[in-house]
Amino acid sequence: MKSRIDLGKYASLFQDLKASEIMTKRVISLGPEKKMAQAKEMMKIKRISGIPIVDDKHHLLGLISIQDIIVALEFNRIKEPVKSMMATELITIKTDDSLMEIVGKFERFKYGRFPVVDEKNKLCGIISREDIMHGVLERFNLIHTHDAKRRLKLEGDHSLVTGQDLDPEAASFHFVIDTSDVNSAGTGSALLKQFVGGKGIPAETARRVGISCYEAETNVVIHSKGRGEIYCFLFEDSIIVRVVDNGIGIEDIEKAMKEGFSTAPDYIRELGFGAGMGLVNMKRFADKLVVFSEKNVGTQVEMMFFLEREKPEKPKPEIPQEPIDILF
Amino acid sequence: MTAPQKGSFEVLMKIKDVIAVLNAEVLSGENRLEEEVKWVGAADMMSDVLSLGRPGMVILTGNNSLQALRSSVVTEILALVLIRNKPVGPEVIEFAKKNNFILLRTAHYLFATCGKLYQQGFRGIDEKPD
Repeated sequence: MKSRIDLGKYASLFQDLKASEIMTKRVISLGPEKKMAQAKEMMKIKRISGIPIVDDKHHLLGLISIQDIIVALEFNRIKEPVKSMMATELITIKTDDSLMEIVGKFERFKYGRFPVVDEKNKLCGIISREDIMHGVLERFNLIHTHDAKRRLKLEGDHSLVTGQDLDPEAASFHFVIDTSDVNSAGTGSALLKQFVGGKGIPAETARRVGISCYEAETNVVIHSKGRGEIYCFLFEDSIIVRVVDNGIGIEDIEKAMKEGFSTAPDYIRELGFGAGMGLVNMKRFADKLVVFSEKNVGTQVEMMFFLEREKPEKPKPEIPQEPIDILF
Repeated sequence: MTAPQKGSFEVLMKIKDVIAVLNAEVLSGENRLEEEVKWVGAADMMSDVLSLGRPGMVILTGNNSLQALRSSVVTEILALVLIRNKPVGPEVIEFAKKNNFILLRTAHYLFATCGKLYQQGFRGIDEKPD
């Protein structure tokens, strides 16, 4: 095995780099009453090796690591709440700690990652060796050139399909997706379907909205590793549904659009997902679909449904006839 | 039940006929047993249910997760039949009841379940016109 890079040697070059700039802000955390079994599942699904435990105000209480899971399995304590097994004496990093201090902690304590907290002990992020490397490389401008236009698109409040303004505040329906629990995937879509149904939208359109949104929502839960939201905008002649997340993004949208292509882990397949039909189904049931994704920034799926197009039940052909609009 | 004419598409078949053929147990939707079954399908992948499921369709599955139920309700299929007496969590039954969704369970395995229904004249969407 190669020896690790001596991070300390370079740290002085980046003295003004703060923890808040290099930390990963999307942290998967759990409440203290959750079971060890849930922590185990979460680590498995999200492929992470540690989960910070926080109270309802997001104050850091402890940390569950893979070692804790192994102990829980070995001594049959997997059904106990995480609070009974979490490490509580934690080495943390403060948001304004300098790179030098951070590197010092890595060298001294030999942990793989450290939680980042503010002055009130609220969890703000997490830093791994990889984050440090990215932070440093970013300084060098090697991996990331800031693309103002792209950022504007992803954070902008206008439709990806029509370009019209879509103020999230003005959405007729809004739902925050709970990405911590695979079993809750689909809750938002069921509510959305109910909502549009109650607005006098024809049943078949409501069904199309429900199915497409369901696929998008499960994608956020299974793949994004971030947090996501559903917005719905009702217009006289159309419905726009946006499902947005701040997760890892889609590596290759063209591949993802192929029927049968899936990156879902086995656990997800056992639930009946991961057939590689998600985007294909969205394309099938929505009249317009735009997917916009940037690696490590997030994904936006926007679907448009025309209201006048109520046809007798005749499914569209299995394979999409035209490629979707892909924006990079 | 009165045996429908084999292979005929004209015979009206109902949920209660499915129950009789499969000796199935009704876990939810007791008040809907007179509803007409237009098609039968079998799927464990929920994306298949989402893409091919439609109102009037009964789907046979080995998938006993809450997701299977959610996909079924969103797709508005008529009923879900769990095979091989798969255990069902209380949250699954509760969800089905809340949505007044027909959830059945049979002891037969998938192959036999399909065969028994086919033999009675039930057909899938690939063979039976809308």
